[in-house]
Amino acid sequence: MSKVLVVDDSQVMRQMVIACLRARSGLVFGQAASGLEAIEQLSLEAFDLVVLDLNMPDIGGLEVIEFVRSQDRLRALPIVVVTTRGDETSRERALAAGADRYLTKPFAPEQILGAVAELLDARAAQPG
Amino acid sequence: MSTFDVNEFLAGYLAEVEDHLKSARDHIGEVEAALREGRPHPRAVRELFRSLHTIKGLSGMVGADPIVDLAHAMETVFRAAERAAGRLPAQALDLLVQALAGIEQRVAALAHGRPVPSAPAALIAALDALPTVAGEPTESGRLTLEPALAARLGPAERQELELGVARGLRAVRIDFRPSAERAAAGLTITAVQQRVAALGQVVKVVPLSTPKSDAAPAGLVFAILLLTGETPARVAEAAGVDEAEAAAVAEARAPAPAPLPEDEGPALEPVRAGVIRVEVARLDDALEKLSALVVHRYRLEAALAGLAEKGVDLRSILPILKENRRQLRDMRAAIMRARMISVADMLDRVPLIVRGLSRQSGKPLRVEVAAGRAELDKSVADRLFPAVVHLLRNAVDHGIEAPEARARAGKPAEGLLRVECRERANNQLELTVADDGSGVDRARVATQAGRDAPATDAALLELLSMPGLSTLTEATTTSGRGMGMNIVRQVAVEQLGGQLEVQSVPGRGTTFVMRVPLSITIVDAFSFEAGAQRFTAPVASIEEIVELSPEAMTGAPAPAEGLAVRLLERRGEAIPVVALDAAFRLPGASGAARKAMVVRRQGHPFAFGVDRLLGQQEVVVRPLEDPLVRVPGVTGSTDLGDGRPTLVLDLVALSGAVAGAEREAAR
Repeated sequence: MSKVLVVDDSQVMRQMVIACLRARSGLVFGQAASGLEAIEQLSLEAFDLVVLDLNMPDIGGLEVIEFVRSQDRLRALPIVVVTTRGDETSRERALAAGADRYLTKPFAPEQILGAVAELLDARAAQPG
Repeated sequence: MSTFDVNEFLAGYLAEVEDHLKSARDHIGEVEAALREGRPHPRAVRELFRSLHTIKGLSGMVGADPIVDLAHAMETVFRAAERAAGRLPAQALDLLVQALAGIEQRVAALAHGRPVPSAPAALIAALDALPTVAGEPTESGRLTLEPALAARLGPAERQELELGVARGLRAVRIDFRPSAERAAAGLTITAVQQRVAALGQVVKVVPLSTPKSDAAPAGLVFAILLLTGETPARVAEAAGVDEAEAAAVAEARAPAPAPLPEDEGPALEPVRAGVIRVEVARLDDALEKLSALVVHRYRLEAALAGLAEKGVDLRSILPILKENRRQLRDMRAAIMRARMISVADMLDRVPLIVRGLSRQSGKPLRVEVAAGRAELDKSVADRLFPAVVHLLRNAVDHGIEAPEARARAGKPAEGLLRVECRERANNQLELTVADDGSGVDRARVATQAGRDAPATDAALLELLSMPGLSTLTEATTTSGRGMGMNIVRQVAVEQLGGQLEVQSVPGRGTTFVMRVPLSITIVDAFSFEAGAQRFTAPVASIEEIVELSPEAMTGAPAPAEGLAVRLLERRGEAIPVVALDAAFRLPGASGAARKAMVVRRQGHPFAFGVDRLLGQQEVVVRPLEDPLVRVPGVTGSTDLGDGRPTLVLDLVALSGAVAGAEREAAR
C-alpha cells in the first residue's frame, strides 16, 4: 500500500489525477487544496509520493518542493509536478529545486500513471 | 491502459470555471476602479492571474483549446502586471474584458454541447502586443521582519504590506505550529487562515522549518502576515493560538486616516467556509426521492383508512401522520430553498455586459443596478437572465441616442440604463429594465409591422412582440436584425408564466417590466390528446405507452354508474384501461382511445386511454392558482408554447382516484 498526496487547488483536477492513478492497485490518496495544506500534511503524516501543481493560492508548488527538500525526513520523497502548459523556465526551476518528474496539463492518463509507477517501483526497490 | 472520460468531469469543470470567471469579473472591476485613480491593485492582479491560470489548465484537460489560448494570452498580461507590482497598461483593460467575454461564450458553448469557436486571432495578437509597465521598486525599512521571512516576500506582497501600513493598518505576524492534536481538533493551517482572514487581509503565509520541540512537534511553523486593524492579542485569540504566537511587525504610521477606497481594504475576500457547490441535478434528484416519500405516505394513509374501516382504533397514529405530512412539506421547502440564488448574483455580469455594449455601439453608457435581496430559483434565473441581456441590447441599439442627439435633446452624454428588482408579495419578482433614450418610435414600428399606430402601451408591446419585426435598416452587431422582443415575451410569459409590460415615453425613454414567479418546476413530459383536450404527464410517471388494438382487449363490461373499464392483455397481465376523457367526465367522451399510458400504483398496473400522442418536451409546471380548485390527479398547468393553458396530470394519483370511485360505485 502506497500513500500518494495529490496537491492542486482545483478539486476537479485532483479528481482527474486520482482517476488516472486508480489504474494502479494498492494506492491510497490524500488531498491538499493548497501548498500550505500540502506542507502541513507532509509534516504530520508519512507519504510515499506527491503529485504537485505549481500554481496555487498562498504559496506555490516551487516553494513546496523547496520546503520538502530542505527537510531531512522528506529529502527522498518522490515529487511529480503536474502543471499547466508551462514555460521552460518553470520546468527548469522545478527540476532544479528537486522535482523528480515534470508533466504538463493536459496530460494523458498513461503519462502520469507511468511516472508514478516508475518512481514508486524505484522507491520499493531501495533498501530501507 | 487506463481510460479517462472527459465527460465525467464536465459538470465539475463547468462549476469550477464559472467560479473563476465570476471571481475574474469582480477583480477586473476592482482593477478598473483602481486604474481610474492611478493606483496599482496587486492583490486583484494576483487573483486574476491565478483564475486565468486555473481556467487554462482545466480547459486543456477537457480539450477546449480555444479557451486555453484566450486564457493563456490573458494570463501572460497579468503575469507581467504582477511583476510590475500590480500595474497594468491603460489600454489593456478593454482587451482583457473582451477576452474574458470570449472565454464566457466558449464555456457556454461547451456547456450546451455546441462546437467551441476558435479563439479570435486579432484579439490574442493585441493582448500579446501590450507593452509591459515597469514596476516601481519600493523602499522598505518600515517592516521589522527576520531576514528568512523578508526574503520570502515578493515585490507585490511587500508593497501590499506597506500600502496597508501607510493607510493606518497594522501588520501582524502569527506563528502557527501544526501538530497532529491540533489537526485532529480541526485547527489546520487552512482553518487558521480562514479565521484570521475574518479580521483583515492575509498577505502571505510562509512555511519555516524549525527544530522539533514540544511546541513545534512537526518541526514546522507557518508565519502568517496579516494586515488588520486589530491588536495582536485579539488576532491570536481569533486564530486559536497562544498570545505569544502573534506579534505586530509594523504599526500604523499615522493615526488612521480618512476612510480609503475600499478596493484594497482588508477582509474583502469572501470567507468561503461553510459554502459548497452542488449540481442542480443533485437537488432535483433529492426532490424526486422526496416525491417517492410523499407517494409512500399516501399509501400509508390509504392503508390506515382501510384499517379504520375495519374498526381499528387509530387515534394514537393520526397525530404522527399529521406531523409527518408537515415534515415532508418542510423538507420540500428546504430543498427548494437550496435551489435559490440571489438576484444580485444573477445580475452580477450586467456592468460588464453594458461595458461591452458601450464599446460595440460607440455610445457612452452608465448602468445602475439595484438587485435588492430577493432570491429566485436557479432554473428561473437561467431563463430570465438572457431576457435581461436582450432588453439591455435593445435599449442600447434602439433606445439610447448617439451622443450628438443626446446633446441636442439636453441629455447628459452618457446614456443611462437601469436594472431594478423587487420582490412582490405573491412570490413574484418584478424586474425592470429601463433606459433614458428616445422612446419607441410608434409610427415607425407600425409602418414596419404594416399596422396602425398603437394607441396604448399594451398594443405597442403586442406589435413589438411580432416575430421578425425590425425597425433597423441595417443589422447591428449587438441586436442583430430585429428586436427579438418575441423571445423576451416567450421567456417571461410563456415559459415562466409571468407578465411583460412596456412603458415608452417619446424623448424620455422606455421601461420594460417583467413579473415572474420566484420558482418553477420543470419536468420532462409527454403531451397527448383525449376527448379533444390536450394534457401532459411527466415521463417518469409513465411505465409504458401501448397501442390499443381491439384484439388485445378483452371484456367490455357495460358501464353502469361507474366508468367503462376494459382489460388489456399485456405479457400475461390484465391491465384495466379507462379512457382519460371518461375519467375526467369530459362531455362527448368518444371512447375511441388508440393508445394507453400504463402507470403502476401500489404494484398494480393501470392504463389510461388517449386518442393521440402529441410529443415529448420539458414543461414548466405552474401550480393551480386557487387551492380550492384541487382536482385529484391534476398537478398544475403548463404552456406548450401556444399560450393556452394545458393541464399537467399525475396519472398515478388519478388511477387511485378512479379506483376509489369504482369501489364507491360498486358498493
